[in-house]
Parts: sequence; structure tokens; C-alpha cells
Amino acid sequence: MPGDVIFDKPMRMDNSYVENGKTYAEVMGLFDSEKGSLVALEGAWSPRTDEVVIGIITNSRNQVYEVDLSFYGRAILIGSKYDRQTYKLGDVVQAEVKDIENRKTVILWRPRTLYGGTLLDVKATKVPRIIGKANTMIMQIASITKSNIIVGNNGIVWLKGGDIALATMAIRKIEDEAHTSGLTERIKKLLDTRQVGGTNKEIA
Amino acid sequence: MASKANKPQLIVDGKRLDGRALNELRPIKIQASVLKNADGSAYLEWGDNRVLAAVYGPKEAMPKHVQDPVKAIIKCKYQMAPFSSMGEHGRSGPNRRATEISKVTREAFESVVMLNDFPGSEIDIFIEILQSDGGTRAAGITAAAVALANAGIHMKDLIYAVSFGKTDGELILDLNMIEDNYSECDMPMAIAPRNGELLLLQMDGNLTKEEMKRGMAMAIEAGKKITAIQKAALQETYKKTEADIKGSENGV
Repeated sequence: MPGDVIFDKPMRMDNSYVENGKTYAEVMGLFDSEKGSLVALEGAWSPRTDEVVIGIITNSRNQVYEVDLSFYGRAILIGSKYDRQTYKLGDVVQAEVKDIENRKTVILWRPRTLYGGTLLDVKATKVPRIIGKANTMIMQIASITKSNIIVGNNGIVWLKGGDIALATMAIRKIEDEAHTSGLTERIKKLLDTRQVGGTNKEIA
Repeated sequence: MASKANKPQLIVDGKRLDGRALNELRPIKIQASVLKNADGSAYLEWGDNRVLAAVYGPKEAMPKHVQDPVKAIIKCKYQMAPFSSMGEHGRSGPNRRATEISKVTREAFESVVMLNDFPGSEIDIFIEILQSDGGTRAAGITAAAVALANAGIHMKDLIYAVSFGKTDGELILDLNMIEDNYSECDMPMAIAPRNGELLLLQMDGNLTKEEMKRGMAMAIEAGKKITAIQKAALQETYKKTEADIKGSENGV
């Protein structure tokens, strides 16, 4: 909870602040004393370098593209004139965060256009859970639904092919239940029972 | 109209009109995350007050000229529903009183929200009074604090607000409408419980220095209860999902 003391000594970690030699929480979150980190339960995305994001091109001039990442700042993708690839307004791109200026302007690089597919908005704080430890969760969903799924850290998920409805359902479930344990098994159960020709069809 | 001529006796045998002790709060009930479209929201019942608070953001500040390149800005709108009240407060729309309360609420939150974490952005706070019975600005701030925490906005503290006043020569906590109208003094205050920092202090009437000290101590004591209710409301939203999961698993 905001204002709660986490540590009696100054600690440097996310979602916290230090005052008078004590560390306080600044969000509602779960504290992991082993790792020494405070995981926020709600909140907006703050950019960080090397994160993969998904966005939509909203503006372009001279190979400089503005990308909508649905957060409070703005994002820029700088192309070079030797690039063969150009982007049109409305193109969906996947890119990595190269640099952040003044905590609000994000410079992107390593872009890749995503053709077709659908976009899904999720809470940015739940993205680590959707991906899972070492990608287990998202691989599981992708392998059972046979969809191509890319999860952007800014809270946009791109899906293409396969059983998109089922994959969406699974992702929504993860989002709702992200703070509980044993989630991977529950998602597996959901996917198994609901998939076409699944083992437990009568329940679905 | 409230005047000295028709003033009822507000304190009888050390009890108030609604049976409360002098330093007793009205019953408070808070529910967090009640609106789906808002990033954070809270519904609060404080005695006969009914308050709905919603928070949006942080999002890009619009129009662009209001953006601050180094910090976030807060916009706050306090509004009373046209059906919220009796008598003259029943008027709706932006009036002097609503504008003033919006301003003091905004200033209270500006000192606890980590504005530097989201430069160039804007955080919208909407406070809607559905039914009023005195002390709505305190109720509004208390509800908005829960809504902000529910939205995951970085804050130094989960603040609360409460009022105290003086009537029949006695100090009383948490005035309701009648007590407010006939009181000798009414003093709403917003406090950060972590260090007792005062974020809002308004006074209507007269108090002695000694009375003010006593009243503040009373408010801080009552604040512990309010803070506990606020935190419980926030935790409740997560417990609910856990119960749902268990229920659905048993069903399958």
C-alpha cells in the first residue's frame, strides 16, 4: 500500500521511494522479500530500454515515424534513407526500446511490421504474468491455440491465426487472476477443455 | 435557514443527535474498483454521504500547452449531483463552491502523488457527490485516494480527510449537515497518515489555539480507522477474484 514501510534502511527498487533513511511503497503491490522487489498490481507502463513493444504508426515525415504505444509519452522510430522498409500510417509494428529521453520520449529501433492479425489491450502490469517464467505461459497458449502471439511490454498483444477467441479468453483470465498462484495449470485446463476436439469436450 | 434563533440543541447528555459520541465517526463503507472504464475508482458511503470517485491516467496531457515537461499535472473535478442534497446546495453545475473544492482537493493530491514519475502527463480525478450530508469534501478526498491507489498511480501515501468542529461549546468530530449548519466552527482537514502531514486545512468559524490542538489530535486518532477501512477496501478487490476462482474450480 502507498506509504507503507517496506524496509528500515534505504533500498533502491521499483515502485518505492526513500525518505529519512526508510523505504516506502508508492503503489499497491506485492512485496517479494527474496528478490527484494515490489511488484505493482495496477498501473501504467513506464518505458525501459530493451523492452519489446507493439505500436501503431500515427505520423511520418522523412523516415521519422511517430508510434502510438498507448501511454502518456510519445514514441519515435527513426528510419534511415538506406532502409528498404517504409511504413504507412496505421501499420502495426513491433520494436525494441533503444533509448528514453526525459522519461517520456521513447526512441525505438529494430522494427518489424506485423501484417494482419488483431490487437488486444491488456494491463501493462500483467504482462510478465502473460509471458510467464521463461516464456512458459505464452508458449503454452501459442502451442495449443496454434496462434502467433506477440506480447508488447506496453500492454498491447498481437494475435494472428489459430484459435484467437480461445487465446484471448486465456489472456483475459491471466489478466484477472495474475496475483494468484497455480495459474499455469488453470490456464492449461481451460485451454484443454475449450479447444476444438479437446479431451473434455462435454464440459465446454 | 440556519440561524441562532431556531438552533436546536445538538448535544444532549454528551451524545449527539444521531446518537454518536463527541469523537465518534459516522459509519464508513468503501468499495474499490467499481467502474470498469476508469483506470481506478471507488464508491464511498460515509454516514448519509454517497460519493463516487474515478481516476483516469496518467495519459498524455491535452491540450498540449498545459503539459509540464518535468512533471505530471492533476486535474480534479468535484461535482454535486442535482439530486444530491437538500435546500440550497441542490444546485448543480460548476459553481463557486465546486470550483473551490476542486482546487483544494487537487492541491492536497499534488503533494502526495509522485508527479515526477510521469512527465508531460495528466491525471484526472472526478469526484461525484450522489447524496450529501455534510463533510463531502472530506469524503471526496478519502474516496479519491482509494481510486488513485486502485489506478496504480505512484503516491507517497494513502491520504484521508475528516472534519471536526465545535458546537454548544464542545468539540465534535465528523460533522453532519445539521451540525455543520448550526456549528460555531467547522474545520475539514486532509492528512497523510505516514507522517501526519497536513494537506488541507480550512476553517469556517472560530476556535481557540488549545481547541484546535485538541481537535487535530481527535482527527488524527480517527484517521487510523479511516486508513484501515481504505486499505481493506483495496485488498478486498483482490480477495474477491481469489474466491471466484475457488468457486469456479469446485464447480468444475
